[in-house]
Amino acid sequence: MIAYFQSIWKFRHFWWSLVKLDLRTRYRRSMLGIGWSLLHPVCMTVILCVVFHKLFRLDLVDYAPHVFSGLAVWQYILTCTLQGCHAFFQAEHYIRQTSMPLAIFPLRTVLGATFHLLIALSLVVAMLAVLAVGGWRPWHPMGVLFAVPGLGLLFVFCWSLAVIAGTFTVFFHDVHHLAEVGFQMLFYASPIMYQSSLLAEHGLNWLLQVNPIVCVMRLIREPLLTSTLPSGAAFFHALVLVTVLGACASVLLARIQKRLIFHL
Amino acid sequence: MASIELDDVCLHFRVRQKRRVTLKEYLLHRLYRRSVNPIMEIRALDHIHLSLRDGDRVGIIGHNGAGKSTLLRLLAGVYPPTSGRRRVEGQISSLFDLTLGFEMESTGWDNISYRAYLQGETPRSIAAKRREIADFSELGEFLHMPVRYYSAGMLVRLAFAIATAFHPEILLIDEVLGVGDLAFQQKAKARLGQWINQARLLVVVSHDTDSLADMCTTGIWMEKGKVRQMGPMRSVIAAYTHSILQPARAA
Repeated sequence: MIAYFQSIWKFRHFWWSLVKLDLRTRYRRSMLGIGWSLLHPVCMTVILCVVFHKLFRLDLVDYAPHVFSGLAVWQYILTCTLQGCHAFFQAEHYIRQTSMPLAIFPLRTVLGATFHLLIALSLVVAMLAVLAVGGWRPWHPMGVLFAVPGLGLLFVFCWSLAVIAGTFTVFFHDVHHLAEVGFQMLFYASPIMYQSSLLAEHGLNWLLQVNPIVCVMRLIREPLLTSTLPSGAAFFHALVLVTVLGACASVLLARIQKRLIFHL
Repeated sequence: MASIELDDVCLHFRVRQKRRVTLKEYLLHRLYRRSVNPIMEIRALDHIHLSLRDGDRVGIIGHNGAGKSTLLRLLAGVYPPTSGRRRVEGQISSLFDLTLGFEMESTGWDNISYRAYLQGETPRSIAAKRREIADFSELGEFLHMPVRYYSAGMLVRLAFAIATAFHPEILLIDEVLGVGDLAFQQKAKARLGQWINQARLLVVVSHDTDSLADMCTTGIWMEKGKVRQMGPMRSVIAAYTHSILQPARAA
């Protein structure tokens, strides 16, 4: 186990340079640069704000940061899983060249996505700061600090998803497609476009409890939006979830480390 | 101190006769999967014993599909043995299929870093060698171009320059040197020749028996996944060529 972490560390320059390469490739020939990755959550937020404001007379000062922060985290989880599907295939030409810890390839995917997440979240913070300065909405910068443990858990959560998605894709080619369908359903079952209180009012509280996304997302959204530390129980739930998922991913990795090459 | 030990190593590939299964198919047809899409087992390497030390320069010859490249990849740790034991001590640098280990969209300069990082080098150790690698490859301005535009000969120049720049203890080469032009082959041989003094371990797969006779001391003749003959390079080459020419003459 320790030897495995050491070998990941030994290859740190390698995967780190691949992460930088991915980001550079993505922004090359793109006038919008970093703004490009924000286009999706920003456009979605704008359209949802317009529609929901008209339909349900929602208060935009509350609603806009809620949607935007939710979409940012959601997009991160989605990207890590869907791109994670190809993590090992994409690295085939390295895996055939040298023996190395396979964990670094999902790591490459997740680190690239983390960069975009952090940009999106800083925009959320900027939005909240502007609203606070204008006096529309109370907010304290401390919330950012309170969200850090949640971000750490989210990172491990997404890395595990990428490992699991990548492994299954090597063995079964339709996993990417199935994941797309599954996540589309999960999107509507998650309190991203709507407040979680809405589900509770309609007796759908159980949906919140069984949805793993809610469990992790809460730890980032609550502190950011309300500047309060999430409850110990919420932390505990997320910690258990991430530990179980991380353990599954590690077991899977240990099993395929020597077998993956025969299935590429 | 570099060494390679293979103790009764077998490597079997299990290949499905038809294309891969999808998850849907797997769940639906799980029961009769075997009859629909049977698994073929291929014995790529069959009970190989090998013991190589510092200073050994080994040439592997044999027919196509005899298991030469597979053996090399097993030595590199890419394929784990199905049974038996593989023990390798020393830093390995490998030069296999040329499309492997290059980021095609990146420039030659960037790829020097990626490949060197892959060998466990650090930014500092690379900085000291960049110039030398560039000079040895003689690619000049081409290094600023994405390697996608390189010819096979240019790729092998770059790959060889990187693989040998950091003085790995073990170097594994899979019949790629022949792609380079004559000047490069002379240069590559000269560099490998220097290694004799440095007591490095070299394993080369090639069909160019003349080069092998120059470069290598020990020869291995692979046939159908087994070592047919192992001994001094020149006598193994003689036996191998004899076996090929003999039936031709008889016919």
